[in-house]
Amino acid sequence: MTDAFAVDILLLLEGTYPYVKGGVSSWVHEIIRGMPQFRFGIVFLGSRESDYAGWRYELPTNVAFVQSHFLFDAVSTPPKLPCRRDRGPSPTIEAALREFHEKLQTACPDIPSSRQLADPASPVGHGMFLDSDSAWQYLTERYETSALAESFVDYFWTVRNLHAPLWILGQIAAKVPPARLFFSPSTGYAGLLGAMCSQQGNAPYVLMEHGIYTRERRIDMMKAEWIRDHRNFLQTDQGEISHLRSLWVQFFETASRQSYSKANPVISLFDRARRQQIADGADEARTRIIPNGVEIERFRGLRRALDAPVPQVMALIGRVVPIKDIKNFIRAAAIAGQKLPHLQAWIIGPTEEDPPYADECRELVQSLGLENIVQFLGFRRVEDVLPGIGVNVLSSVSEGLPLSVLEGFAAGIPAVTTDVGACREMLEGSGRDDDVSGVAGGVAGLADPDGLASHIVSLLSDPQRYREAVETAIARVEKRYDRLTMLATFERIFREAMD
Amino acid sequence: MAGIGFELRRLSQSQTYFGLLRAYAYAGIVSSGPWVLSIAAILMLGMLSIGLVIPSVQITRFQVSVTWLIALSLIYTGGFQLIYTRYVADRLFERRPDCVVPNLTGALLVLLLPASVMVSIAMLVWFPGTSAAYRLLMITGFVLLCMVWVLTVLLSGLKQFRAVLLIYLLGYGSVLLVALWWRPYGMEGLLGGFVVGQLVLVLGMARLVWQEYPPTRLVGMDFFRHQQNRLWLIPAGILFNAGVWVDKFIFWLSPGTGDRIIGVLYSSVIYDTPTFLAYLTIVPGMAVFLFRMEVDFVHAYDRYFNLVRSGGTLPAIEEQRREMVIAARHGIRDILGTQGLTLLVLIAFARVILPALGISVLYSGQLAIISLGVMLQLLVMAALNILFYLDDLRETVVITAVMLVANAVCSWISIALGPYFYGYGFACGMLIATVVALPLVNRRLSRLNYETFMHTR
Repeated sequence: MTDAFAVDILLLLEGTYPYVKGGVSSWVHEIIRGMPQFRFGIVFLGSRESDYAGWRYELPTNVAFVQSHFLFDAVSTPPKLPCRRDRGPSPTIEAALREFHEKLQTACPDIPSSRQLADPASPVGHGMFLDSDSAWQYLTERYETSALAESFVDYFWTVRNLHAPLWILGQIAAKVPPARLFFSPSTGYAGLLGAMCSQQGNAPYVLMEHGIYTRERRIDMMKAEWIRDHRNFLQTDQGEISHLRSLWVQFFETASRQSYSKANPVISLFDRARRQQIADGADEARTRIIPNGVEIERFRGLRRALDAPVPQVMALIGRVVPIKDIKNFIRAAAIAGQKLPHLQAWIIGPTEEDPPYADECRELVQSLGLENIVQFLGFRRVEDVLPGIGVNVLSSVSEGLPLSVLEGFAAGIPAVTTDVGACREMLEGSGRDDDVSGVAGGVAGLADPDGLASHIVSLLSDPQRYREAVETAIARVEKRYDRLTMLATFERIFREAMD
Repeated sequence: MAGIGFELRRLSQSQTYFGLLRAYAYAGIVSSGPWVLSIAAILMLGMLSIGLVIPSVQITRFQVSVTWLIALSLIYTGGFQLIYTRYVADRLFERRPDCVVPNLTGALLVLLLPASVMVSIAMLVWFPGTSAAYRLLMITGFVLLCMVWVLTVLLSGLKQFRAVLLIYLLGYGSVLLVALWWRPYGMEGLLGGFVVGQLVLVLGMARLVWQEYPPTRLVGMDFFRHQQNRLWLIPAGILFNAGVWVDKFIFWLSPGTGDRIIGVLYSSVIYDTPTFLAYLTIVPGMAVFLFRMEVDFVHAYDRYFNLVRSGGTLPAIEEQRREMVIAARHGIRDILGTQGLTLLVLIAFARVILPALGISVLYSGQLAIISLGVMLQLLVMAALNILFYLDDLRETVVITAVMLVANAVCSWISIALGPYFYGYGFACGMLIATVVALPLVNRRLSRLNYETFMHTR
């Protein structure tokens, strides 16, 4: 495809490919490699350049260029406005700022263009936001109507810092090369950039969310210690988050709403995520579910004969970190071990990421007297361990669409999981046309080792149920979670959007 | 650091009229002490030497020489005084007091080497017929005075008013004693006394600085690396001192009003006499100035910025901003009040006071108008002080430049208009500077919240 467009698809990537390894990054890598017929461009948005150690992937040949921007390196502060100090508050500028703010918040689709944002003399330019009396006027007014009990210096800097990337994104958007389609695998800053690019380039914007960005940021914000919180013990309602934290959450919600308002389609991995998107402001008619896929052929050869003996092994494939709730898995192993005398429990995954937590897990194994049952195997190639596993267990407190479960399915191994992310849909079916019926294992509640254990015991001791689960697992992964199908669906979506 | 503000507040809290009076008297002495002492000592030396140093033109020569030394050294060090005091305040804020002395010696070396070369050349070229002792004393005197000003402003900036006053008493005491003892040697003797006194001052203050901030090195040069954003202080300091002295220079050098006294040094009897007396009237105003600035304004200033830093709400911050405005307004009001009253007393009793000092009553009109100018100069100083506190250095350059130009132009016009108008030029120049300065301060204080938060880059 050679024409006025520099690339066919411009990928807007925030904190992932090609600088960081991980789920979303490998997904992006697959998409690029799987569609050699398209020319891709990459605009990477990072925090600070020093936070990254260069590219972690070898770029496929159909990547035309990579642009990297670091939003918090603060290299792009605008020049000071000339003579601004004699200007005094201007009703027009204040009105422009107010309108811009309200449009952003209500996801009104015609926010000021990136060219207006990047123009230093514009009433919504960065310099105006930083220096003008009108911006000060509007900011203090917002403070007085919403945040009266807050420390003003913290409020001021929170508002400044959280809005600063808007103008940097505006500058980036004003300079991106022309593309037939913009695509981002998240909302957030990348989503805002997508909205700006699509408005400016008059090109379609496709949004895909692997996790739900707003929800993840909400969790981050609750944990963030760098947001100073001026509550004291008299403000007893500890469940309520302070205003400064909620400002950040609001900002990311706004960013999501902006991306939803411009993107078509708005894609998610599973139905629960789709419903969350709708709750956060996405138009239901534009939402689509496209699950992740695995390379079925890689695992087909690992399948056991249906009448082969089932290894009495429950296994967890994943990093030893709190979010995976490894302790839940260990407790379930203790309970299941009382019913299954030959049970083995493997924990397959690196322990280096959170050594104190890994030590706690080992101590728990000792204190429960499970040294003969539970084994930490460390990092292994999945193909090497899958043949020895009876049930694939996932005890996490939070997941999206875990690939380890799908890889197990492709190798003919049923799963028992907590009810997080797409797990129930993967195990029990979505009830949609493109799915098969049947149960591929079992789903338990969060932090419910008894629930996990009863499913594990039932699967490992009831050959009939186990066989049904295996058949369902294989049928479902081939029908709904095949990588080739996923790529074909995306190719179709990209083509439709470009036309 | 001995906090003068604290002591003044304690004195003023004694609720009685006498207690308040005591507080003001104390403030007056510590703030204008060095100033008054130096003028008084020179005038006194002159009076005590009459009839003893012969011919009496020797006394005039001595007084004029010292006046020129003071004027030129003040102007020469004007910028450096301000910038060095800021540097010290910053280092003390960083808790690095060991930087104070090494950088003082380092900076003084850089400042005084070219100065002493220039003064030496000037003494060799422009003072034919004067004795070697005179020339040597003038060179030493200039260098010592430069050091005296830097040390004085440093210690005052650190609120060591009382110690400074004590050292000045000691220094000018020595001036008097030594000069009276060396009177037989004529002008050189008097000048020698003056130089010895300055040496006492320098040693005393240097010892105090050394004690307070024990150094770990002798010479440091990092002072020159820290000052990029403070460079405006240099023109502000130089312009201020030049602005204060420019009317005197014009009167000295104008053919109709000035006389050549020694070498290239001129004086103007008709202008200098009322001017020196007028500067003595500044004492009550200085007391009020110190009281309002160092107690009320600084108190409000500290509370304002503490509140900003510690996370106060905007209404609370705004409340403290108003307190600062009120303190500034009261300061200006009280300076006007006390100096106005002093002026009235002066006008009413000039016919009694002047003859008692052996000065012709013909000077009374001029004395009154120059005293008015001095009062206005005090208002400009108050305004500059507020702007220094708020770090608004560009505005201080504007104000001091206006002061210099207005004072020069108006004084020049006043000479052209004739003797009846002498002094009006100075008052008029100071009035113009006040009219420029006060609205700038007003604007700055009313926009303080905006400037504090938005104007940080």
